[in-house]
Amino acid sequence: MDIKHRDVGGVSVLDFTGNLDTNTSPTAEAEVSRLLDEGSTKILFNFSELNFISSSGLRILLATAKKLKMSDGKMVVCNLNDVVQEVFDISGFASILNLAANEEEALASF
Amino acid sequence: MNESQSKPVILAVDDTPENLDVVKGILASEYSVKAAINGPIALKIAEKHRPDLILLDVMMPGMDGYEVCQKLKENPKTRDIPVIFVTAMDQTSDETRGFSLGAADYIFKPVIPPILQARVKTHLALKQSMDELSEAYGIIKQQKDRMEEELNIGRDIQMSMLPLEFPQRDEFSVHALLQPAREVGGDFYDFFFINEDELVLVVGDVSGKGVPAALFMAVTKSVIKTRAMDDPSPASIVTRVNDEMSQDNPSSMFVTLFIAICNIRTGECRFTNAGHNPPYIRRRDGKLEILSQRHGPIIGAMEDLAYKESSVDLGMGDQLFIFTDGVTEAMDKEDNLFSEKRLEDHLESSMGSSVEDLVSDTLLSVEKYADGAEQADDITMLACSLLKEPDKSEYPRMSLVISSDFQEIGRLNKELARFARKNDLPEDVMRKLNIAIDDLVNNIISYGTDEDGKQFIEINCAYLDNRLMLEVVDTGKPFNPFEQLNPDTTSSIEDRKIGGLGRLLVKELMDDVDYERQKDRNVVKLIMDIP
Repeated sequence: MDIKHRDVGGVSVLDFTGNLDTNTSPTAEAEVSRLLDEGSTKILFNFSELNFISSSGLRILLATAKKLKMSDGKMVVCNLNDVVQEVFDISGFASILNLAANEEEALASF
Repeated sequence: MNESQSKPVILAVDDTPENLDVVKGILASEYSVKAAINGPIALKIAEKHRPDLILLDVMMPGMDGYEVCQKLKENPKTRDIPVIFVTAMDQTSDETRGFSLGAADYIFKPVIPPILQARVKTHLALKQSMDELSEAYGIIKQQKDRMEEELNIGRDIQMSMLPLEFPQRDEFSVHALLQPAREVGGDFYDFFFINEDELVLVVGDVSGKGVPAALFMAVTKSVIKTRAMDDPSPASIVTRVNDEMSQDNPSSMFVTLFIAICNIRTGECRFTNAGHNPPYIRRRDGKLEILSQRHGPIIGAMEDLAYKESSVDLGMGDQLFIFTDGVTEAMDKEDNLFSEKRLEDHLESSMGSSVEDLVSDTLLSVEKYADGAEQADDITMLACSLLKEPDKSEYPRMSLVISSDFQEIGRLNKELARFARKNDLPEDVMRKLNIAIDDLVNNIISYGTDEDGKQFIEINCAYLDNRLMLEVVDTGKPFNPFEQLNPDTTSSIEDRKIGGLGRLLVKELMDDVDYERQKDRNVVKLIMDIP
């Protein structure tokens, strides 16, 4: 899995390519930790190139959301494909995370 | 007193006290001599003291020597005591009478000391030999009884291990029969499914008899079954079984073995013959074929042998007939063998019979041939028939075995993705499958495996009739991932816990799931309907 980082108007945008699963989640965790340590309080997970996410990936998202909530930051996830959306629905994450259909909408919500 | 007790005891019977003194004088130094002055007293002493020998005067008033002798022989307590008649010279005509009453010998009066001593010595020695022989016979009989018992126990062990329930299914039929010989044991058969389509058939003959043979057979049978469960190749199963049985084989037991793995869906039978007599296939049209390929020697002789296998196809109505040499080597009263030829003639002539009839008719044929001669060896037969047209359609399937490492999940999902692409499965289906597998296998590794335990996880995938079916099999502790599934899907970010979400995803993303604990393995089934 690949993660690219861009900064768009103060928002840390993470572009994921590949899968967020048992074996790749640690990488995501490390990347997000790094961002948080550097002081990011606005993080956008761009899933346009994300194939699928399993519960290991969900764990990372939840942890990030918790940390950002505590530091009064914000986290948004955008460009979910149908299957990823279904995963969010089943797990109830669709109700607790901020989701956006595309990047413009996402950035606008920060 | 002790001294006299270790000496043999002689009872001298004579109505003349002087004669008793003479005998005592001659024998007292070597023997302990008791005296009786008449018959009744003699009988009493004999019964009470059981002397080792009796010197019996013939001419006595009242009860004479012959009567005393007769009475001694009638009493089981005194019957075996050797009796030597002591008589005057002029009564020789009565010798025959004495011997016919059971006397051991005659001595004439006047008694000549060396002759008396010699006769006494001889007859005592004779008696001792008889006693020893009798004891030895008793021991031998005891051992023989013990051996019979052992054979019976061996027989019980052998027979108790045979599957006696024959499955009634539409696609195939199986029947078996084992008629044990009285003394010789060692035959066995087995049949069992290793998966939905594959039936394993085993027939074997262990050298030896009694309990050791029965135990060797029990071990062989269970090793075969264990190996067959995760090894789809008869050659490989037999190779591994041979290694195991050859290793600790102090009594050098051997077993001939025929193993066939028959796919009852496709009709393909792969088989390995280890020193066993070749089975037959009776085709639907009555033609008889012999499966003559041999793939290695008898089991148990040598380690590190690689066995081979061959393959044959069964069509609908074909019958596979496996048997042991108890059939072909059955003998009639003149020791003529039933032989392969007779068996072949019999098989060819029994057209259209069920496997059950085939087996029991063959036994009848053998028994008729033997015509009362004792059965020399176990007679065993196992027959299997395909009752439906074989389905040789190749539908896409895939099998993979991974070890219980998280990284292996990546490899597995890659293979599944490749399978999905190759069979044009929709992308969404593939994604959901990958997620389910990631979470399922993660759970198996995390919770189903013991801490330092490593295990293998087998994944079988098949795509047919618009359905994708996956089977995930592991040999860890019992673990049902769909049990007690109530993860937290509603609380807020702060309170949310992640436990159980993975298992929930597996259940909800798939169209159907199933869990079964089969003996020592967890079997999870995942099903997706393909639009």
